[in-house]
Amino acid sequence: MTIYSLYIYDRHCQCVFYHDWQRVKKARPANEGVMLSHVTPSTEMTSPRNTLTMSSGIIIASSESVPPTPAIAPPVSSANLTSLPFDEEAKLVYGVILSLRNMTKKLSGREETFVNYRTSTYKLHHYETISGYKFVMFTDPNTATDTIRFVMRQIYTNPFIEFVVRNPLIDMDSRENGIDNDHFRTAVDKMVKNLAIYA
Amino acid sequence: MGQQKNRGAKGTKKTSPETVPLRVPPPTGKITCIRSAASKPDGLAALTSNEYLVMAGTLHGIHAITARLSPTGSSSGAEVIEGETFKMTIKLTPTGTKFVLLTSLSETSAELMLGKVYEAYADSVMKNPFQAPEMPIRSEGFDNKVNSLFGVA
Repeated sequence: MTIYSLYIYDRHCQCVFYHDWQRVKKARPANEGVMLSHVTPSTEMTSPRNTLTMSSGIIIASSESVPPTPAIAPPVSSANLTSLPFDEEAKLVYGVILSLRNMTKKLSGREETFVNYRTSTYKLHHYETISGYKFVMFTDPNTATDTIRFVMRQIYTNPFIEFVVRNPLIDMDSRENGIDNDHFRTAVDKMVKNLAIYA
Repeated sequence: MGQQKNRGAKGTKKTSPETVPLRVPPPTGKITCIRSAASKPDGLAALTSNEYLVMAGTLHGIHAITARLSPTGSSSGAEVIEGETFKMTIKLTPTGTKFVLLTSLSETSAELMLGKVYEAYADSVMKNPFQAPEMPIRSEGFDNKVNSLFGVA
């Protein structure tokens, strides 16, 4: 049992947050200028921004335009050669979710959303908030559906509301910046690592 | 065509699975066979065959993408897709034919059933010299086998 990665999309179909944990096959660095700034496949806990010049060292929100730092090149291995650039991957994930959502709605004939799908090596879970934010989690194929749905709800009700929605410095509908900030990332990271299924 | 058994949780027979439609799209995403249960108020929507064709095309694309998104190296395409009230089980044969079964969430024998449908397909359709590939399946033997498999009179 394990958890691979978490994507959060806003209602403009943009990926605003990404974090990965035990992901084996890393995405290649995104093409320049396609992703929102502060949404990177490198999930080192060190912020991509220059924290040394700031007084506190912790970023509450970043509205100033900092050029997105080029992601650290992952070590070259045979597994990396076939992986997609991060921006394309993020788009594909969104595309799959959107298509499956439409298909589910059509098949059931009522307002019904798609919950998850499973392949031989992973399971993708989807949770959508009323405000249109979509939480997508990649986990082990054997993870129970209800557990992850609960976790995603928890991420939304706790760190997301607390550090993103209630944060006056974050421009929620910004089309330039992700919703990244250190408090949120740390809280999510801690929450996931404390789960029983994370091991 | 025909109504199958009662819905698992609500029906009188607790263990009886609900089995809704069955589709057999070949590699091009074209449907060669659809079997579905009659529509019920709490069941799935009844779609026209054209809508099913569109859906098969979408599914074909999704299946290819899901295989590429794997975080751990190579992966198969989506095998089970779950909604809030139903799930879709997909069986991909080595030749690229997909068998898709829509069932209620509590149904546990969907994969087993698809295996048996594949068997019937191999016996009654592939061994039939008059069956043109990629054409709709019109075989009484196959129909009978599938019907008896899903308990349709």
